[in-house]
Amino acid sequence: MTINEIKNVILEIIQDIDDEADFTDLEPSEALRDQLDLDSMDFLDIVMELRKRYQIQIPEADYPQLATLDSCVNYLMPRLEAA
Amino acid sequence: MAAGIRFARFGQKVLILEKHSKIGGLNSYYHRKGRLLETGLHAVSNFAPPEDKHAPLNRLLRQLKIPRRNLVLHEQYSSEILFPDRASLCFSNDFSLLLKQITKSFPDSAKQFEKMVAELDQYDPFLPRPKISAREFVSSFLQDRLLVEMLFCPLMFYGASQEDDMDLSQFVILFRAILQEGFFRPDGTIKDLLDLLLTHYKSFGGEIELTVGVKEILTENNKVSGVRTAAGEVILCESLISTAGVPETKKLFPTSDTAATFSKLDGDQISGRLSFIESIYLLDKSACESLPKDRTIIFFNLSEKFSYHRPDDAVDLNSGVICFPGNFQGNKEEDIVQLRVTHIANYDKWLHAYNNDDKTLYPAMKTQWVEKSKKVIGKIIGNYSENIVYEDSFTPVTIERYTSRSQGAVYGSPEKIKDGKTNFENLYIAGTDQGYLGIVGSMLSGVTMVNQHILNKS
Repeated sequence: MTINEIKNVILEIIQDIDDEADFTDLEPSEALRDQLDLDSMDFLDIVMELRKRYQIQIPEADYPQLATLDSCVNYLMPRLEAA
Repeated sequence: MAAGIRFARFGQKVLILEKHSKIGGLNSYYHRKGRLLETGLHAVSNFAPPEDKHAPLNRLLRQLKIPRRNLVLHEQYSSEILFPDRASLCFSNDFSLLLKQITKSFPDSAKQFEKMVAELDQYDPFLPRPKISAREFVSSFLQDRLLVEMLFCPLMFYGASQEDDMDLSQFVILFRAILQEGFFRPDGTIKDLLDLLLTHYKSFGGEIELTVGVKEILTENNKVSGVRTAAGEVILCESLISTAGVPETKKLFPTSDTAATFSKLDGDQISGRLSFIESIYLLDKSACESLPKDRTIIFFNLSEKFSYHRPDDAVDLNSGVICFPGNFQGNKEEDIVQLRVTHIANYDKWLHAYNNDDKTLYPAMKTQWVEKSKKVIGKIIGNYSENIVYEDSFTPVTIERYTSRSQGAVYGSPEKIKDGKTNFENLYIAGTDQGYLGIVGSMLSGVTMVNQHILNKS
């Protein structure tokens, strides 16, 4: 998967959680939760959806690495290489 | 059901075992005379507008993947806390109404009330911490005894499992759910909502068995290995969530050792003592012009001090809840008006009558108390007894029989397990006994337990 493909997957998952999420001014290096008004329950949905779609296990200790769109890409890139 | 949906959503194998022939537990329904009657639903608390993303109702719907726009919700008109000849306070889904009412009726307490609300807004009720008396907390802000009693009245009736007081955490949850957020009803009946949830659950591959009660919880060392059903079938599982209640779950352990491992407290200590008698009246509409049209629920108290405990008599007629399930904004007008009246009742007295060899005793006792109740309620809302087309009442014994809630205690055990964990590492408690309250609360409980203990770990 390319960087853009991974970004799109994340945004698609967020859109699925909250179909009113607005990505127009989304800053990739800033926290997704603050920008999109997501709470910890929504955040778990992102993790679970990634597991369901790509069978990747994300341990709880790694959740902080999914904080921003950029950090999601960095974290997921090696894990989604085969996908 | 909410826990099941949450788990099934991510492709996991889930089985719900329901003892009854219908789902819903305390909030279910039955049919009489060709009409559907609801068992528990007066109103749903925790109303929130769609844009309030972090409100419990909207969080719940997102977690269950039920789009809010697919639901038609009817908000209450207004509800009233009525202590006749002393004071009345109205509240709606706009909290400012209650503030105005308090300023008008209790001008000396208004500032202190606002201070208390500011403190409550900062309080996290889900943090495990020692019990704090809500009465002491509220009284430390409000010196007016009458106002204190009036605030406790609706909160206790709609969720308190402890007699005459409650833990501050429970108070905060109820205060937010009822007074700050308010009441609504989904369009249609509780059956429509339950059907929607069931269809949704099945669409994710969830399985359900009705009329299959759990007889035993099977354990190996400190883990649950499965359950044995009443029919003797053994079903193995990796995790078990019990929504039966803490005292009821304790009874499912086949040995005293495993039961003691589950909870050291004995049945009497963990059983709730509060139960209710409720009457449902169907009234001819043309004859009901005098009934309040802009009140959804009236919480009333006639005695000097509002008492919320198991009464000495079979029923405590000094207080109660009067609900008009038709009085919600945008509800379709019907030819029949429904009225529901609830009073605190004594489980032991009703059980004694029910078990008596004289089988006429229990129905006669029911008739006697319901007739007395009609007189009390008639004085508050105007006489309605001549206009009754159909009526039915249920007692603590009925509640216990259909929901298996020990002693008919609808709000469960006074001992809540806030983190849902038990001494068995893969057995979790969800629902009322985990501490969340109301329909939205109980469902959020199921969601939260699956999120915290199963999805995060599996």
